[in-house]
Parts: sequence; structure tokens; C-alpha cells
Amino acid sequence: MKQSPQMKVIQEQMKPGVLTLQGFLGSDTRSLSEILDADAAEVRRLGTTHQAIADRMRYFRKEGEAGLGEFTTVDSYFDVKVESVRGKIPSPFGGPGLYAKTNTTLLNKQLNRSLVFTDINIHLIGEHGFYEGKGSPFRLEPRALVEILEIPREAQQVEIPR
Amino acid sequence: MSGSLYPVAILFAAIFTNNILLTNYLGMCSFLSVSRELKTSVGLGVAVTFVMASTSVLNWLVYNKILIPLELEYLRFIVFIIVIAAFVQIVEMVIERVSETLYAALGIFLPLITVNCAILGVSLFMVIREYSFIESFTFGLGSGIGWFLAILAMAGIRQKLKKARVPKGLEGPGITLIITGMMAMAFMGFSGMINIG
Amino acid sequence: MLPALITSVGAITGISAFLAVLMVIADATIANYGEVKITINDEKEFVVKGGKPLLGTLMEQEIFIPSACGGRGSCGLCKVKVEKGAGQYLPTELPWISEEEKAENIRLSCQLKVKEDMSIRIPDELFSVKEFQATVAKIRDLTHDIKEVTFDLNEPSEISIRAGQFVQLRVPEYELTDEPVYRAYSAASVPSDKRHVELEIRYVPNGICTTFVHKYLKEGDPVVFNGPYGEFFLRDTEREIICIAGGSGMAPIKSILLDMAEKGSNRRTRYFFGARSKRDLFLLDEMKELEERLPNFRFIPALSAPEPEDNWDGETGLITDVVAKHMESGDNTEAYLCGSPGMIDACVKVLTDKGVPEALIYYDKFG
Repeated sequence: MKQSPQMKVIQEQMKPGVLTLQGFLGSDTRSLSEILDADAAEVRRLGTTHQAIADRMRYFRKEGEAGLGEFTTVDSYFDVKVESVRGKIPSPFGGPGLYAKTNTTLLNKQLNRSLVFTDINIHLIGEHGFYEGKGSPFRLEPRALVEILEIPREAQQVEIPR
Repeated sequence: MSGSLYPVAILFAAIFTNNILLTNYLGMCSFLSVSRELKTSVGLGVAVTFVMASTSVLNWLVYNKILIPLELEYLRFIVFIIVIAAFVQIVEMVIERVSETLYAALGIFLPLITVNCAILGVSLFMVIREYSFIESFTFGLGSGIGWFLAILAMAGIRQKLKKARVPKGLEGPGITLIITGMMAMAFMGFSGMINIG
Repeated sequence: MLPALITSVGAITGISAFLAVLMVIADATIANYGEVKITINDEKEFVVKGGKPLLGTLMEQEIFIPSACGGRGSCGLCKVKVEKGAGQYLPTELPWISEEEKAENIRLSCQLKVKEDMSIRIPDELFSVKEFQATVAKIRDLTHDIKEVTFDLNEPSEISIRAGQFVQLRVPEYELTDEPVYRAYSAASVPSDKRHVELEIRYVPNGICTTFVHKYLKEGDPVVFNGPYGEFFLRDTEREIICIAGGSGMAPIKSILLDMAEKGSNRRTRYFFGARSKRDLFLLDEMKELEERLPNFRFIPALSAPEPEDNWDGETGLITDVVAKHMESGDNTEAYLCGSPGMIDACVKVLTDKGVPEALIYYDKFG
């Protein structure tokens, strides 16, 4: 389906080799608008919002920083490791802000499931509802995020993403 | 029906009863994709209105002053497209020169508009209905405003849609087309009010 | 039939040709901005072709305004003060420009197009930033994921760099990319060696530049970089020095230490190097040599997760704890830090708790 010119530009920024080596779209052949729409619907079905997911990710990242690159325990059964490499990357959606290349690795010991996400993932999810294309190494399934991070279902309100 | 008020009647008809998008179903693809975002819809709507009004007039001149005298009416399909494309190119250059802000807001849509079938449709309708110069202008202007109205309404509805629970298979184009159909049916209520040929 | 054919072909050709000529004229007049003059800092003047963004236009004149995103408008680093000749602010600039900056006429040079004569103001240091063509002289493995790369300068053949500054390495299009990107790396070599620049580059799995350096770059390959940039360098005082940096963060510190050794500095210096396990330690011999050349310097490595087979008997634990343990009071001390924002924040806290004034804690900010 055709996209507005702005979306096309953003999709170009997400291709491999432009901002990061593997890009943000993986092997997904859908257009960016379709990916965003599909994930937005999934998040709605899970009874939560992009903002809630991003806030929870941010919480673990902050708590995990105390480990200075080693695993540390957060909330008694989460093992979190926050490590950075040098450099910053801009958001493919444009606009201000450079995001540190920080990886947060999280292990939910009760469910025995783990996740890895980066600082820019937190921004892309919270501000744009973008979970990366299927097949991308950093693709985060909304369902997996909600289950592993234990994000509660919200009552009614769903905020309108931009 | 004719007379000095006819162009005004055409203007209103083009917006409501003979809406180029909702009645004639032209200009759908950019309508479907751009109506996702409200702000972009406004930009595109204004650009489309401007191009429609200008090209209908330009094409009227080309058709009546060049093609008809040379008995080449059948070439109008190709010639109209060439005129539209050239016009859009030059307008883009002028806007970029004169105002960077306007270019950033509108300029990016111009190449998208060249291939919008509604633009060609307006010129062709003008020929079929044998409009005069003024009538072509108001028809082009009205069609643009009508298209703008349709995309604006759709963008507003889609904002509300984000809160709604849409069945999985209908997300995106599916539900949008259904809604367009419903809007078209609503506008059918206007039909017959004004007869513009 | 034939006359009809000729008329129709003629008409189409005529109309198309007319419109084509119209567009060529438009392109040559409306879209052509001609030549304009750019005056920099009221001293240098350049006559350039208008129509392109200021950043690229300046780069063609060999003035390198810092940029991390290559002119796409997404890093906000290419700010320039434009006193005359800029139009209105573009929507793509506004997110980056604060109210105070607006009052100063600060513009984002990658978005602002040069359309008329301009007068701009840039920091004088930028005049000494040059683009260098060099050859890869040596690539050496320092650890399992850090390579030391040494460049031999060709054109220009010498660089004037201060210990602690960095350069922007140009990564050309290679197998996985479509356009060149620039990445910043601190120079680890001693400034007195003007013909070489040495970088320490750590492999990052999804990194465009580090993948290029670790998997594609070979000795003898040509490279391009520009510099020097940066305000991270040793201040000329008599205060004690504390350095904290791990991994490839050692680069600017090593450069500073080598410089100090050459100049025979007597300042009491301690370098706390944090790593995970023994395999992340490197250049231990060089550090030992520096301890001999600088009698008042001590290299203190600390491992946060030593493996049993390491048989490590040095300091262990988080680097912040090791620093706290060794530091007495912080007066008359300056600190130089290089690392991730999280590590820097934690170290700043430890140092300020010990009494080091925040203004005397310097860190490498580009990372």
C-alpha cells in the first residue's frame, strides 16, 4: 500500500547499513504503515499501551544500571544487565534526540524467559509504537514484552499514538 | 441549467453532490495511505486543490486553443498528463525558491500528486461536460475542496478508529475502504440536488 | 491518414518540446541560485555555488562542521551561527534550536540552504579540522574484541592533535551499506608522532563501522578521516590526576599518558582500568613502561568478574568501589573519564563524594 512521503523517508532510514548494520526492518516485506498498524492492534488486544510498555522497559533499564555492566537483581526475580558501547544513533523517525547504544538484557527467573532491548527500542516503542520488522534481530513481539516484563492489563483508555 | 450563477453551482456540486472521490471514486490510493495522519492529510489536501484548480484551467486552454483547432481531441489523454507533470515540476521549483517553509510543508507532496488519477479525471470531466473557462476553474477548485474534505473527514475518523477494536483481518485498508463506502453512501443523499451535466 | 498522423505526432512533439524547454529555463533560472559569497568570522571569504545546504557547501571548501548523521538532520551537532543571509527557520531545524539559540541566530547547517550571500560565525578550532587521506599501516589484536589500527598519513602528511582528541573515521560503502558513514574514535597515539594516528576499535555486533574495521579492513587499505575534534585533553595545571576508563576508552588516556611521559610531567597520576575478566586486559606491558617513565604514575586494573583460571590477585569489584577505596580526599585533583554514560555518572558521584569539584571532572562526551 502506498505511504505518505514522510513514511517512505523513514522506511529508507530503517534499511540495513543506514543507521545500524542490520537495520530495523529485518526480512519484513510489509510497508512501515502496515507494520505500525498491525502492532498497534496487537497492543490494544493485549490491553495495554505503547507508553506503558516503554515505561516498564525504562524502569528495568534504570534499575539495571547499578550493575555497571554486570547482572544485578531487580524486584527479587529479574536479573538485569545494562551495558553500553560508545556512540549514539539518531532515530530513524527523525526529530531531535540521539540514543545511546545501550543494551539491556533481562531474565525473568520465574518464567525462565529472557529479552534483550536497546535504548532506541524504548524510544521507538514509546514514541512511535514501532517494535521493528519481523526477522530483525532486535524485533520485540508486544506479546513477549507484556508477558516477560509482566505488564498489567489496563482498564480502558488507550492513548492515540502520533 | 445555465446563467451567471452556474459556475457557483458547479463549485458546490463538485464539493458535495459530485465529489470526485466519494461519488466518482477517483484519487483513492493517496487518499487511503495519507489519511493515516491528520497533519499530512491537510498538506496533501491543499496541494491537491491547488493543482486541480490550476491544471483544469491550463488543460482547458490547451484543449480549446490547440487540440480542437488541430482536430486532435483524441490526444487529450496524453497531452493532459504531460501538462500536469510539467506544471507540477515547475511549481515545485518555484515554491522551493520562494519559500522553504512552504516547500517543506507542501513540496514533498507534489510528485505524489502528478500520478493522482483525480487530477486527470477533473480535466477529462471538463471536456465531457463542455465547461467554459470559468466553469472549468470552479469545477477544478470545487473538486479539490471536495477531495480535501473527504480526506480530512477520513483522517478524523481514522484517529477515532485507533481507539476501536477492529477485527484482525480488516485492519488498515480493509476498514478504510468500508468507511469510504459508507461516506460515499452518505453523500449519495445529496445527489440530484444540483444538476451539472 | 498521413496528414492526420503527421499533425498528431507534430502536435504532441510540439507541446512536449515546448514544456521541456520551459522546464529547462525554469531549472536554469528559478532553481539556479548562482554564485554567492560566504564570509566566515569576518575574515575568510568563499565564493560558492548556491542551492545546497550550508554543511555540504562548507565541506567542499574544506571547512568541516561536526556531524554525526551525515547531514540528515537527526543529530543536531552541525549548528552554526548565521549573522546574515539565512531565511526563516525550517520545520526540520526547529526541534533542535532552543529559544536562546534562536536569539543568537543559530541554525542547523545541514538543513539551511545557501541562497544568498551569507555571513557566519564558527569556533576558530574548526579551521584546523582537515580531511586526511591515509593508509592502514598496522592492525593488531589487543583483546578478543578490540583491534588497534594505525594509520600512516599521506595527504596532508602531518596532523596537529592534542592528546585526548578524536577523529571522525569515514566508513566507505561496503558490502552491507549504501552510503558512507562517519564514526568518531579517540586517538591513542602520542601527539608528537605527527605522521601517524592510532585508534582502538572495539567490535560491536550490529555496528556499521566496527564490523567494517574488524571484518573488511586490511593493512595497506586507504582510509579517509577528518579531525581533530574534541575538548577532552589534559589541562595544564599542577593538580593530581585520576583517570578512569575501560576497554577502548583507554585510547585518549594512553595518548595523554604518553604525552605526559615525553614532557616529563611530575604530577601524581592514577589510572583505574575497569574490565570484566583477564582476557579484557591489554597493553599491560605499555602501562608498565609508562610507570617506569613516569615515577609518579600508577596503573590500577580492576576486574569485576574474574574467571577462576585467571588467578587474579589484583583489585576486584566494580570500578567505582575500587576508586573509592584508593582515593583519599579529592581536593587538588582533576579527573578524566572515558566510558558509557552509566559508568560516567556513577564515577562522577564517587568523585564528588570524595570532594572533587564537578567542574574539574572531564569526560569524553561524544560517546
